[in-house]
Amino acid sequence: MGTMLPMGGAWAAGSDKPEIEEVKIGFIPLTDCSSVVMASVMGFDKKYGIKITPSKEASWAGVRDKLANGELHAAHVLYGLVYGLHLGVGGPKKDMAVLMTLNNNGQAITLSNGLKDKGAVDGASLAKVIARKDKEYTFAQTFPTGTHAMWLYYWLAAHGIDPFRDVKNIVVPPPQMVANMRVGNMDGYCVGEPWNQRAIVDKIGFTAVTTQDIWTDHPEKVLGATAEFAAKYPNTARAMICAILEASRWIDASAANRSKTAETVAAKSFVNTDVDVIRSRMIGQYENGLGKSWSDKNLMKFYNDGQVNYPYLSDGMWFLTQHRRWGLLKQDVDYLAVAKAINQTELYKQAAAQVGVPVPKSDFRTSKLIDGVVWDGKDPKKYAASFKVRA
Amino acid sequence: MTTATLAQGLEGPSAAEMDSGTRNASHVARDGAATTTEAPVATSPAPGPVVNRPAIGEYFGSFMRAVLPPLIGLALVVGLWALVAMKSSDFPGPSKTFDAAVVLFSDPFYSNGPNDQGIGWNILSSLKRVAVGFGVAALVGIPLGFIIGRFAFMNSMLAPIISLLRPVSPLAWLPIGLMVFKAADPASTWTIFICSIWPMILNTAQGVQRVPQDYLNVARVLNLSEFRIITKILFPSVLPYMLTGIRLSIGTAWLVIVAAEMLTGGVGIGFWVWDEWNNLKVEHILIAIFVIGIVGLLLEYLLLLIARRFSYGVN
Repeated sequence: MGTMLPMGGAWAAGSDKPEIEEVKIGFIPLTDCSSVVMASVMGFDKKYGIKITPSKEASWAGVRDKLANGELHAAHVLYGLVYGLHLGVGGPKKDMAVLMTLNNNGQAITLSNGLKDKGAVDGASLAKVIARKDKEYTFAQTFPTGTHAMWLYYWLAAHGIDPFRDVKNIVVPPPQMVANMRVGNMDGYCVGEPWNQRAIVDKIGFTAVTTQDIWTDHPEKVLGATAEFAAKYPNTARAMICAILEASRWIDASAANRSKTAETVAAKSFVNTDVDVIRSRMIGQYENGLGKSWSDKNLMKFYNDGQVNYPYLSDGMWFLTQHRRWGLLKQDVDYLAVAKAINQTELYKQAAAQVGVPVPKSDFRTSKLIDGVVWDGKDPKKYAASFKVRA
Repeated sequence: MTTATLAQGLEGPSAAEMDSGTRNASHVARDGAATTTEAPVATSPAPGPVVNRPAIGEYFGSFMRAVLPPLIGLALVVGLWALVAMKSSDFPGPSKTFDAAVVLFSDPFYSNGPNDQGIGWNILSSLKRVAVGFGVAALVGIPLGFIIGRFAFMNSMLAPIISLLRPVSPLAWLPIGLMVFKAADPASTWTIFICSIWPMILNTAQGVQRVPQDYLNVARVLNLSEFRIITKILFPSVLPYMLTGIRLSIGTAWLVIVAAEMLTGGVGIGFWVWDEWNNLKVEHILIAIFVIGIVGLLLEYLLLLIARRFSYGVN
């Protein structure tokens, strides 16, 4: 694995040669940037004729801006952010492309010890505590149109809590979430690992629910780029997908690989944290800070025989329905058309064939979420309007 | 009486002359009076002016006066810090921070890819951005200050705009820079430019307005051209004010770059602070505070030296 010479390379030189050979892929220091990082560190990128430089970014807004102005060729980015940017939800508007899904699961909602002391240890008890209205509770997420916001809102709403009217809802960067929770200024947040494990290690909060319990094998981060990039440099885009697919496959291959990934990703150049905070959840060992530990089979997945990485149209459409539900989109859009424009299924299929990764038969997949509602991508307009708690 | 005269030292007429009987001792010229062999100066411990051999004690005294108070101040700060650290569970104390600092500064120029570079590279990177932004601000601000100071009309025209824009935070200018320049580095440079230009404009303008009317009268008498007025009269007398403005600006520029880098990313001391904050490595944030402060201090001191070098007379 790793460093195959270009001579025996996997692409046909000539028409398939990548247009750009050095690509800058932005990432935010979270555990799920692993496949992008490992693609570079393990040399999978060289196998496909490109050199990936992972570029650490300061914030999701920064990633959005740098993708839009071309400073980054592609990025490890929140699924919902890409869709929001494409439609210009509360910000700039730019035609975007989703090249592949990077990971499923591996995020969580952390509640403060203060809430634990009041008896709120899960969704139902939290609803009771909030209903008492004895103070204004503050919840945080990472980006208004992003994945963590959607998980948080969905979970709160599933227990009858209105995320906009019943609680205060803010966007802050993860270290601020932890710092505020430490001093009692923050009651809960939804964010990616390692921040949830961090709260438990620092003894300031506990995991109320993992996102895989909200939606098993939900789409999370994607490899996002502008539509312009995908159209102008398809060979490069394909090479990026190939390299990261190989890295994803390698990570999921064994617990030893996952452990090594945790060590690599914890380094200063990447997530810049202690290995222990990343490793346990990376290999599926969960503890929730309330005394319960378990081995989660729906841990953060990067490959899962290619089921993680396919850019299902129904996944993208789900985020659109939730944007509509919460009033981020003022009117219904042509959900299917938008998803078809953004998700590069053809490009992905070519890359998957090149790497030897199985491709699912349908662009849609069916899932049942925590509140029992089924999403199959068939009637997005009806689905968006069907929720009791909405904007 | 003789002893009394003796005791006057060099000033009075020599003892020998006095003893020889001339009671006109007072008429003796003082200038060359010290011809006598016996001129016992050292016997009297009277505190006269220290002329040719200052005591070691004096040097020691002034050294202590200069160095001791700041050291005491520093010791107080460190003591307070240690106290706070003891009370708090995860705030690191001076010794833990010092250990971390030793590790950081033992290899300040390593490079492990674009996301992980030694602290030396981070500082240099930030200084480079400051240099560019500050340089442009000087090129624009100083001439503008001259114009505002010299022409009352320009002053009235620009004063309200300056007052409006001056208090705006760099974090408000940065997104505008990003939108206009579409790249992080020019946006940071723009933010430094727009935040650090004000002291240079205002101080230069004030310096021009403070030029003594006499000089300008002379210029009128001699019928000097505008160009000569600027170069021969205004510039030299405005220089001290201008340099004060520059010193204030450099402090602002350094402050702004740290804030701007936190938002834009890349290599730099600001983004380094943000990254360490992201990982909640508080020791490194504290070290960054010292580093930022020391570099700011050095920059100002450098400009102070330049100011002294070019100032005419008192500064």
